[in-house]
Amino acid sequence: MGETTFQAEWKKGSAELLILSLVEARPRHGYEISKLIEQRSRGAVRFHVASLYPLLYRLEHRGWLAGRWVEKDGHRRRRYYRLTRAGRKVLASQLRGWSEFVAGINSITEAENA
Amino acid sequence: MRDWKPEILRRLAPLKLSPTREAEIAEEIEQHLDDRYKDLLAEGLSPDSAFRAALDELKNEDLLARNLRTVESELYREPLSPGNASSTLFAGILQDIRYSFRMMRKSPGFAAIALLTLALGIGANTAIFSMMNGLMLHTLPVRDPGSLVQILVHYPGDPEPGFSDFSWDAYQTMRDNNRVLSDLIVGSLNVYEVSAHGVEAQNIFGGNVGETFFEGLGVRPAIGRFIGPQDIATSAPVAVVSWSFWKTRFNLNPDIEGQKIITNDKPLTIIGVAQRGFYGLSNQAQQEIWVPYSLEDPKSSVALSGHLRPGVSAEQARADLAALYQTFVDRPNTNPFFRKNVVRVIAAGNGISTPVSQMLSTPLKVLMATVGLLLLLACANLAGLLLARGASRQHEMAVRVCLGANRARLLRHTLTESLLLSVIGSAAGALLAYLAVGALIQMFSSGRLMVGVPVRFESLRHLDVRVLLFTGAIALVTGLLCGAAPALSPSNTTPASALQSGMKIGETKRQRLFGRSLVATQVALSLVLVSMAGLFVGYLSHLRNDLGFERNNLLLVTLNFDHSNYNAAQYAQRTQELVRQLNAIPGVRSATLSEMSPMEGPGASSFAAAEDHPEKTTPVSINNIAPDYFRTYGTPLLAGRDFSARDEGGSHAAIINESAARDCFGNESPIGRHITLSHITATTGEKTYEVIGVVGDAKYNDLDQPAPPTIYRNLHQEQNLGSQLAIRTKVAAGGVANAVRATEADVLKNVPIAGMIEMNDQVDATIVPQRLFATLSSGFGALGALLAIIGLYGLLAYTVARRTHEIGVRIALGAESADVMRIVVRDAMWMICAGLAIGAPLAFWGKRIAASLIPDLPVANQLPIVIAAAIMIGVGLIAAYLPARRAMRVDPLIALRYE
Repeated sequence: MGETTFQAEWKKGSAELLILSLVEARPRHGYEISKLIEQRSRGAVRFHVASLYPLLYRLEHRGWLAGRWVEKDGHRRRRYYRLTRAGRKVLASQLRGWSEFVAGINSITEAENA
Repeated sequence: MRDWKPEILRRLAPLKLSPTREAEIAEEIEQHLDDRYKDLLAEGLSPDSAFRAALDELKNEDLLARNLRTVESELYREPLSPGNASSTLFAGILQDIRYSFRMMRKSPGFAAIALLTLALGIGANTAIFSMMNGLMLHTLPVRDPGSLVQILVHYPGDPEPGFSDFSWDAYQTMRDNNRVLSDLIVGSLNVYEVSAHGVEAQNIFGGNVGETFFEGLGVRPAIGRFIGPQDIATSAPVAVVSWSFWKTRFNLNPDIEGQKIITNDKPLTIIGVAQRGFYGLSNQAQQEIWVPYSLEDPKSSVALSGHLRPGVSAEQARADLAALYQTFVDRPNTNPFFRKNVVRVIAAGNGISTPVSQMLSTPLKVLMATVGLLLLLACANLAGLLLARGASRQHEMAVRVCLGANRARLLRHTLTESLLLSVIGSAAGALLAYLAVGALIQMFSSGRLMVGVPVRFESLRHLDVRVLLFTGAIALVTGLLCGAAPALSPSNTTPASALQSGMKIGETKRQRLFGRSLVATQVALSLVLVSMAGLFVGYLSHLRNDLGFERNNLLLVTLNFDHSNYNAAQYAQRTQELVRQLNAIPGVRSATLSEMSPMEGPGASSFAAAEDHPEKTTPVSINNIAPDYFRTYGTPLLAGRDFSARDEGGSHAAIINESAARDCFGNESPIGRHITLSHITATTGEKTYEVIGVVGDAKYNDLDQPAPPTIYRNLHQEQNLGSQLAIRTKVAAGGVANAVRATEADVLKNVPIAGMIEMNDQVDATIVPQRLFATLSSGFGALGALLAIIGLYGLLAYTVARRTHEIGVRIALGAESADVMRIVVRDAMWMICAGLAIGAPLAFWGKRIAASLIPDLPVANQLPIVIAAAIMIGVGLIAAYLPARRAMRVDPLIALRYE
C-alpha cells in the first residue's frame, strides 16, 4: 500500500471530526479552518480548497454546521461556520469513538513493543 | 489583489449552479485563495510563485466540481424571490410552495382563520357529499344497474314515493303483457327474525323473492342452488342466504346446504348461498336471506323491479305498466284505496326506495345546497382576506415588477398560496367531515323507522374515489376562486404609481369596489343561510308543539303479549288491573292502554260514511283505546263523553275527532249519530258505530301532515289486545320507569315490556330530517354570520389603517370623533345594505326551492328573513365597532407624520 493512498483514506475518515472540533469553541471561516488544521498537525494534514469547501457544505447540509456571512468593519464579508446543536452531539460521539480506537491501537502496539 | 474569479468560475461551470449560489461559492473560495496568496507572500515567496501555489489549492481542473456535485445537488435551494423568472416550471412551483409556507408562518393569525374557514366549508361539503354518495350515487353490485327500475304504486297525497305492492295476478299480467321491460323481478325488502341451532335470534333484512330474482340481477350461487319455479309453486320451506350470513353465522361451513334455520317462527332449509358481495336491492338495508314468494297466502303482495328494455324511458314504462295495472283495479271488489293509486317507475340502480332513502334523500339535497352556499361564503371571505393582505403587499410586488419579475410568475405565486391554503384546509376538512358523518349517523339512527331494524347506516360513510375527487375538486375550485381576485390585482398595478409612497399605494377604485362587493356577497349569502335557519327552526318548533296532545311527562310502554297464556278476556281483565295499579304509583297522574300511540307508526285505516250520507266516504285513521286515553294524552274532549267500563256490553260506540266530525257531519252535531266503517285495513266487512264523543284533532302518524280524520273505538269492545301503555306523570317521565316495570311484571305474567320511550323521544324520532335541517342550518347560519363578521371586520380594519392619514387630516381640521365614527360606520352600512339588497331576493328564492322539497314548510312567513336582516345589521355594527374606535383614536400628529 502506497503512503499517499493510506493518508487519503485516513484523512477522509477523520476530516469531519477535525472540522467539527475546530469550530466547537467558536465560529471560524474556511481559510482559518484549513490553516489551523495545517498548523496543528505541523503540516502533516492539509485540506485543499477543492475538498475543504465541498466538505463544509456537506456538513452544513446535514445540519451539523451553520454558515453565516459576517461583515466586519473595513473587511470584506466572510462566511463563518458554527457548530449546531446536532453537530455538537455528533462531535461528542465521534470523539468517543476516536479515543476508543486510539486506546485500542495503543494497547496493541504497546504490548508488542514491551 | 489578483483576480481569481475566472479560474474558479471555469471550474464551477459544469455544475450549472444557479447564479446566486455560484456567486456565493466563488466569493468564499476567492477569499480563501486571496488569504493564502497573502500568507505565501508574507512567507517571502515571489508574487508569481505565490499565485501558482495558491492556485494549486484548486488542484486539477475537475476535482472541485466533482466534489461539489453530490453536495450541491442535495443542498441547492434556489433562494426565495417570487417573480424571479425561473428556468424550469417544477422548480418554480416548489419554490412558490416554500414561499407560501413562509408567508403563512409569518402571519399565523391570518393562516389560522383562513384554514379554519376552509376546513369548515370544505368539511361540511365533503360530509354531506359522502353521505349523498353512499345513499344515492353508490350503484348496486347487480347486472346492468343503469336500467334497473322499481315499480311502485303511489297514493295521491302520500308523502312517501310509494310502495311496491302488487298482487300475484297483477304481476303475472304485467310480466306477460308488458312491452317495456326485459325482465320483471319479484323481490321485496322485509325484516325477518332469524335463528338457528347455535345462532342467536336476530333481526335481519331479507326478501320475499320470485323465481327470476337472482338470475335477473345476474347473481350466481356460491354454493347450492337458488329459488326456482318449483319452490314457488309448492311454497317450499327453503331459503337462500347471503355470503356474509354464511360467514358470520355459519363460519363458512361447507355443509351449509340442508341446514335448518327458523325464520319468523317457521323452520326453513338452506338450499344455497348467493355469490360474495351480493346483498340485494338496497345499500343501507342489505339483505341476508331470501325466501320464495308464497302462493299459499292469498293476501300477500309482491314487490316488483325490472330492467328497462334498451331505448325505453322510465316514463314510457310507466305508461305501459299503468295501463296493465288499471285492468286490475277496475275489478268490482277492489279496495277503493287501490283505485286512487298511480303507478310510478323510478330508477333503482342505486338501490330501491327504502325507509332510509325516503327519510334522507330530500334532507341531503337541501343540505348539499346549503353547504354549497357555505363554501361560496367561505371563498368570498378568504378572497377578501387575501385581497386585503395582497394590497398591503402591493408595494413589495411593485418593487419586484420593477426589478424584472415575471408578472405571470407573480400571478402563479399568489394562486399557489391560495391553493396551498385550500389543500391544507381540505385535509383538515376531510377529517372534520369524517367526524361530522359519525355524528349525523348517530342522529339518523334515532329515527322511528329504525327501531329493531338492522339498517346499515355505516354504508353512508362511503369514502371512495368519487368523494376524494369531489373534495379535491372543491379544494381546487376554492383555491382558484379565492386566489383569482388577489392574483389579478397586483398585475394590474402600475409599478410607478405603486412605488409612490403614501396613501395612494395600490388600491384603485376598481379594486376597492371589488373588496366591498366581496363583503356584500358575504352578507348576502349569510342572510340566506340565517333566514333558512330561522325558517327551519320555526318549522321544527311548530312541528313539536302543534300536536294535539301533550308531549311532556308522558311515558310510553310497549307490551309484548306474543308469548302470554292469557285469552282475550283474561288479558283485558289483567290490563285493566294494571292500569288501576299504575294509577296508584306516586307521581302518576293517569294511565291508559291503547292499540297505537301517536307517532308510533301507521295504524289501521278505513273509509267512514255518516248515516245520512252513505255515498260520501271519508278515509279515516283508526285507533282502539281504553278509557282515560284523552285525559292521559291531554287531548281535549270537545263534546259528548269518554268511553267507560259500562260501554263494553252495549252497542258499538266511537269517539271521533274534529276533522272526522267535519268531514262526515259538516256543521251538525255528531253526538248520538251513527257512522259506518268499511274496508277496515285489509278486511271487507262493514261496522256501524254510535258517536258518543268528539275530541280535538291530534297528530297520528306524521307530524308534517295535518291531523287525519280519526275514529277512536273502544279497545275492550273490539276485543283488541292493546299493547301501548301511556302513563302521564306529574314528575319527569323517566322517574316512574322503575315502578312501572315492577308493577307490570307483577300484574302481567309472561308479557314482557318490549320497549319504553318518552313521548318526546317518540315525537323526535319521526322528525329526524326536520331536526337535521334545524340543527345543521342553525349551525351553518351561525357560521355564515361569523364569517361575514370576520370579512367585514377585516376589510374595515384594513380600510381604517389605510385611511389613517386622511382621518388624521380630518381631525386636524376639526372633525369630531363622532364624525370619524360616522365615516367608518357609514362605510360598513353601505356594504351591509348592499348585501341585504342582494341577499333578500336570494333568500326568497331559496325558500321557494326548500318549499318545493319540503311540502309543509311555512314559507308565507317572512319573519325569518326580517330577523336574519336584523341579525346581519347587528353583527355588521359589531364588526365595525373596533375599527371605528381605532379610527376615533387616531392622533393627528402621528397620522400626519405617517407621510
